Amino acid sequence: MTVNDGIDVVRNWILSRHPERARIGPDEDLVRTRLVDSLSFVELVYVIENATGAEIDFDTIDLKDFQSLSAIQRAFFTTA
Amino acid sequence: MTAPGRIGIDMVPFTRVRALLGGGLLAGRMLSADERRLLLDGDEPDVPGIAGRLAAKEAVFKLFHATGETVPWQGIEILRAESGAPWVRLSGRAAALARGAGIGSVSVSITHDEPCAVAVALTAPDSEERSAP
Repeated sequence: MTVNDGIDVVRNWILSRHPERARIGPDEDLVRTRLVDSLSFVELVYVIENATGAEIDFDTIDLKDFQSLSAIQRAFFTTA
Repeated sequence: MTAPGRIGIDMVPFTRVRALLGGGLLAGRMLSADERRLLLDGDEPDVPGIAGRLAAKEAVFKLFHATGETVPWQGIEILRAESGAPWVRLSGRAAALARGAGIGSVSVSITHDEPCAVAVALTAPDSEERSAP
């Protein structure tokens, strides 16, 4: 899976839960806009884990890494 | 010192629980072993009971006023006293957040009726702190 494929999986998963939305801006705040709430956050982490193949420790999560699609891309889908 | 007069409330639709059950995330990430024994050991998962507990966990989390933190789902356990009343056990990061907020102990009340469950959490004075009933 390429870097772009990974963030596309995340974007498409969020859009699938919000049929009223056609797009999500890269810097749009996912929590503040209620695209992701506390229950769906658990699912979001799971989607990212599946896309990256790496487990995310819930107790050491930095919420800033999940604030927007661009933040998720930087934190989880950027190759060194 | 106990923070005075904090209250938290939350609501969880049964449909959200059914969706989470399909993904297997409830057992793995959101419910403790003791909660799983209460809620998942029957022929069918106790959807209203799960919705009530998830609502109670979020209501308790709101007492901490923990901006920038994720809900420590497994560290906030909503268990059942012999009387049938729910009681709260905090551990790990949840217990640390409670200490940081000056919260000694917590009481919760849960109600559920299709299509959702609602829970309210209240801080309790230290003098009323309860151990496992």
